[in-house]
Amino acid sequence: MESGARRPLLSAPRGFRDILPTEARELRVIEQALTETFAASGYMRLEPPTIEYSAAQPTQERLIQFLDTDRSLVALRPDLTTAVARLVAQRYRESAGALRLSYFAPVFREEPAMTAGEREVVQAGVELIGASGPIADAEVLALLVESLECCGLRLDGATIQVGHVGIVQRLFAPLAEEPRSAVLSALRAGDLVGALRRAHEAGMPSEDVTRARAALGVIGRGIEQLDGDDVRELRQVVHLARERWPGSVKLWGLPNIGLVPALPYYTAIVFEALHPDVGVIASGGRYDLLIGAYGAPRPATGFAIDVLRLHRALFAEGWRPADARPLVTLHSGGDERATMRCAASLRAAGISVAIGDVAETAGIALIAAEVVDERRVKLGDGRTIDAATLARELAT
Amino acid sequence: MRPLRFALAQGLLLNDALAALRAIALDVSRVTPGGRRLVVDGGGNVEFVLARPSDIATYVERGAADLGIVGKDVLMESAARVLELVDLHFGACRFVVAAPRGALERSLDEYRHLGSLEVATKYPRVAEAHFRARGLEVEIVKVAGSAEVAPQVGLADWIVDLVATGGTLRANDLAIVEEIAACSARLIANPASYHYRRAEIAPLVEKLADWASRSRSSANR
Repeated sequence: MESGARRPLLSAPRGFRDILPTEARELRVIEQALTETFAASGYMRLEPPTIEYSAAQPTQERLIQFLDTDRSLVALRPDLTTAVARLVAQRYRESAGALRLSYFAPVFREEPAMTAGEREVVQAGVELIGASGPIADAEVLALLVESLECCGLRLDGATIQVGHVGIVQRLFAPLAEEPRSAVLSALRAGDLVGALRRAHEAGMPSEDVTRARAALGVIGRGIEQLDGDDVRELRQVVHLARERWPGSVKLWGLPNIGLVPALPYYTAIVFEALHPDVGVIASGGRYDLLIGAYGAPRPATGFAIDVLRLHRALFAEGWRPADARPLVTLHSGGDERATMRCAASLRAAGISVAIGDVAETAGIALIAAEVVDERRVKLGDGRTIDAATLARELAT
Repeated sequence: MRPLRFALAQGLLLNDALAALRAIALDVSRVTPGGRRLVVDGGGNVEFVLARPSDIATYVERGAADLGIVGKDVLMESAARVLELVDLHFGACRFVVAAPRGALERSLDEYRHLGSLEVATKYPRVAEAHFRARGLEVEIVKVAGSAEVAPQVGLADWIVDLVATGGTLRANDLAIVEEIAACSARLIANPASYHYRRAEIAPLVEKLADWASRSRSSANR
């Protein structure tokens, strides 16, 4: 560089970004709708720490890690379900009843460079811990749909899809432990070709491989041709969830046997919310073994909504948040003392006031006003009115 | 909703891919290999996008295309998160480790003495994963083309490369040390699209799976 002066670094690190006021305001509206919906079903908000031990994570992949000053390897939390599981095993070891917990917080995952991958993602979700069975699964599934609809998302018949990891495992049950786990990890990675090939190589007869392939393609009403307790459980959960939240879409909740999440900790019912423009908006399911891995076995189920994707989906559908109350920009007539007092009386009347110019409005309507005296302002249309009258006008 | 978008790899696989799509009665008549139009209408709410093989996985992973046909070699190197639905069997090739003919013993001796081997490749991710799984200490040297010349000029001891017939290896006096993986063309899908638009996608997947197993059994006869 010419002058030798160091050019300041202005951009955020790859995969991280600034959220400016317009977006932040919209995210706050979403946060409020989600938080209220979670609370209305008895879910208590908690806030796990931003950093966890790397060794305590169920998978080491995609962690953003660094060495702590005591030389232990720590990671920015990649996931809140794992943090909640760890926290429950430590803090609620003795409690026997159902825990209903919720969160709204960022998580961090490594993404390869040059793929437009985001490394900071905001998750809103719930965990229902200590409750097993279809009623608990249905509660969480219905709460997801309720939450999305309360934010204003329009659902259709394919938005919510429900699978069952147990059905998938059962398809490959005759295989020995080692090839079976290889098959399942290929399926979690989305490699259907590799999974079926490995099953065949491990001695699974061709007819069974063909049957497994067909079963993994079953979606919707096709599930009626399948049998088994897990299949009945899936159908019952969808049915009960619709009872709990009938929603705006008739018969929401599409059974989909091929829905196999990438995360390894799911044990039974799994589900996703999909959007044609932004992909997976939310995912969840039952993870009965995760808390046990921290030494305190508890059945558990939950979901996480990717808030930024939900925002993108809402935006794509033309959603805009309800107007925030307008902001009065107050211009002094030269008497600073009168200006301060006038601002105070406007605020006391419930009006938002900034003194002077406002460069960033975050999409909020501005009303310019000049100070007349301690209680009155002159508006752009020439009228002089007092704080109480202005407050009444703005309220309508 | 936009038409179902099908990404096709330009180059070696394109003719076979078009033949497969024609066989399942998709209209590929507007796709002209080497042509200038890269997004073409395929009729019946399907459109085709032509792209470089290594971009197909990116298109599909990011949902810019719903389906794609691309080699397993490209998928292995890209590590894109896509669904691999059908092995289409054409475009067969293998990832192999190769060394100068007759120099295998010498390079293993070097490994014992010097503790590491240098491996030139266009596929660093595949090479790295393979040697890590084998527990072999190697230094990967990424090259943009013709890895097979690397041992001759002293750039590296071994190479990891993609071979179809093995002709290039023989011409450069290289012998296969071991095979890493057999590759062929795959039908891939964006996971969210595959689930959300299953009603449109499933019939195509079924027909292509049928076509692939029929074309393989006729090739074996």
